[in-house]
Amino acid sequence: MSETTVTTKSKKKTLRIEGQTRLLLIILVVAILFFSFVNGDKGFLKYRSVASMGVQLAEIGILALAMMVTILVGGINLSINATANLGVVLAGYFLFRIYPPVTSPGTTPIFTQINAPANPSTISLIIGLLIPLSVGLLTGVINGLLVGYIKIPPILATLATMSLFTGLSAGLTKGRTITGFPTQYEVVAGKTILGIPLPFILFTALTILVAILLRNTTHGFKMQMIGTNETASEFSGINNKAVIMRTYMLSGVLASIAGIIIMSRTMSAAYEYGMTTYVLLTILITVLAGIQGGFGNVFNLYIAMLILQVLSTGFQMLLQGVRGSTFFKDFSWGILMLIIFIINYFTRRRKSSNQE
Amino acid sequence: MLKKFTQTNEFLILIIIIVLSTVVGLINPKFFSISTLFDLIRASNVYIILAFALLPVVILGGIDISFIAIAAMSAYATHMFLIARGYTGGILLYFVIACIIGGLAGLLNGLIITKFRLPVFDVSLATQTMWYGFTLFFIGATSNFSIPKGLVGYYANYLAKVTDPVTGDTGLHVSIIFVVVIGVLMHLMLKYTMLGRNIYAIGGNKDVAIRTGINHNKVTIVVFVIMGILSAFAGVLQSAFSRNFNPTLFIGQNLDVLAAVIIGGAALKGGRGTVIGTVLGVLLTQIINRSLVLTQIPAEWQKFFIGLVLIIFTALPALRQKRAARLGLAVKSEVSGS
Repeated sequence: MSETTVTTKSKKKTLRIEGQTRLLLIILVVAILFFSFVNGDKGFLKYRSVASMGVQLAEIGILALAMMVTILVGGINLSINATANLGVVLAGYFLFRIYPPVTSPGTTPIFTQINAPANPSTISLIIGLLIPLSVGLLTGVINGLLVGYIKIPPILATLATMSLFTGLSAGLTKGRTITGFPTQYEVVAGKTILGIPLPFILFTALTILVAILLRNTTHGFKMQMIGTNETASEFSGINNKAVIMRTYMLSGVLASIAGIIIMSRTMSAAYEYGMTTYVLLTILITVLAGIQGGFGNVFNLYIAMLILQVLSTGFQMLLQGVRGSTFFKDFSWGILMLIIFIINYFTRRRKSSNQE
Repeated sequence: MLKKFTQTNEFLILIIIIVLSTVVGLINPKFFSISTLFDLIRASNVYIILAFALLPVVILGGIDISFIAIAAMSAYATHMFLIARGYTGGILLYFVIACIIGGLAGLLNGLIITKFRLPVFDVSLATQTMWYGFTLFFIGATSNFSIPKGLVGYYANYLAKVTDPVTGDTGLHVSIIFVVVIGVLMHLMLKYTMLGRNIYAIGGNKDVAIRTGINHNKVTIVVFVIMGILSAFAGVLQSAFSRNFNPTLFIGQNLDVLAAVIIGGAALKGGRGTVIGTVLGVLLTQIINRSLVLTQIPAEWQKFFIGLVLIIFTALPALRQKRAARLGLAVKSEVSGS
């Protein structure tokens, strides 16, 4: 329902974006039909498998949103996953301080094990959620300073902060995983409304919010101006630095929300969670969605993510029992991206020759 | 001449390296020893060659992230192919076959980029994912430790050897010859050949370069073939050092290599970058990584300090460039005012 409002609006935008959306939708439908056919007896579209996808898709999707907003202003944010982990690690640190484990005299309490009572005070639960959000905001400020004000190339600045934030989490936890979070937090990832997992609803809501930000606010317009031509936007009176700063702050907060969902799903916080896969995956999604400096459609992000998930689950079922079957998805993702790039090239060329 | 040198980026990095080494040496005198130096050189050799692979691409104005996947795929495929045929010889045949595979993989990148006029980053993102997936699914998913006889002792093939009572034998590994030869060739190519000058020209201003008659596509393809060959070379070398062939070799290290190249003075937007700077950039990042072990900083805090140091070393050139841009702008307005 909410997605349709986004698409109808996207029709007002340039044809280019509409074309990418259509292409991605066609690929998604073809992929779903193909895998439903070949995996027919294995129940490819069963409710259970779709619902379990929903929770994990939500974290990746929110991280992809965090990546997308920075790519829109011509940057990139490699530190999103580090931000997500740092937020919940610090929340865990706080909860550990107020609920330290009971220790026999003479021994020091092991950090990393929170001893939360069955009914912790509401205030502490709220603070436990506010900490990650403010960490997200603060990491955004740091990235914004380095990228917007000092003008370090974004890919290097956020590579450095990725190491910085990961290192801070690792140092605080001494490389261990924090466990024993209050069970009340399970609600975030565990609750379903009308059969839809809460994280997925959260992700959809955030997608709509970002879409509104980009389409209907001056800040969104300025973001796209900077992404298209930084010099031109500076000379047309836009405060590039401030817009870039706010964009990275938004990116940080989105990342920290993803962190909260991860914490709620795993009931733990680790400095290295998803470190090797999530950042690359979110870049894959944004590039597949055709998002680049100044141009991007949030709805494309949604479909691109679904396509990657369908390919991953589909091939996994198809190749069940084959050695190394989990790795075929990477191969298929790479090939698919190349195919989409090449199709885009031909549609671009046809369009430009039509105009002449 | 000397004044010109002191204003270069290379000079700045050299100073930083000297200061950093002095500080680490004061904290832990063990840092100033021949064995530390030889260890540093051996660890740096592979990454210097990887950085050489990336350097022409960066000068051309592109960010490639697939070179590590090409390195892993070429080295692993070569190894599995030779092992299956019962090969027992030395490293030379490894280099030859891997470089051919790597060159072809680089050619694929170059062809897709030029034929369909696509951004380097996007294409390399796709080919990186593709090659790692290809290697893991079609060739093999586990590290292979059965090394042919001719390769077993290669990791300890030293030009000069020192015996340290604590850390054991180390030495100056023969691979330094490769680094020097490749470095000199790369320097000559970039500086004195038509190809090299064209790479800088395209990186400086692509449209102008094309209008002056430079064959942009040809140059781009050659650069990516070079990238593939050198990556594969580094892949074989690293595998020979660690005495196992790993399908996910170098995974996640592409941006660290890129950072070293950029710290070495190459511009992300293209048109700038030198061989000497790249070598110094890699040495600096390697010293940062290794010297923290020698200081008293606990292991779990090292990543934090690496991040901190990286911020400082990327902020310095950025600030300098900003200042230069401001001065340049001031000069311009003065001219237009008069």
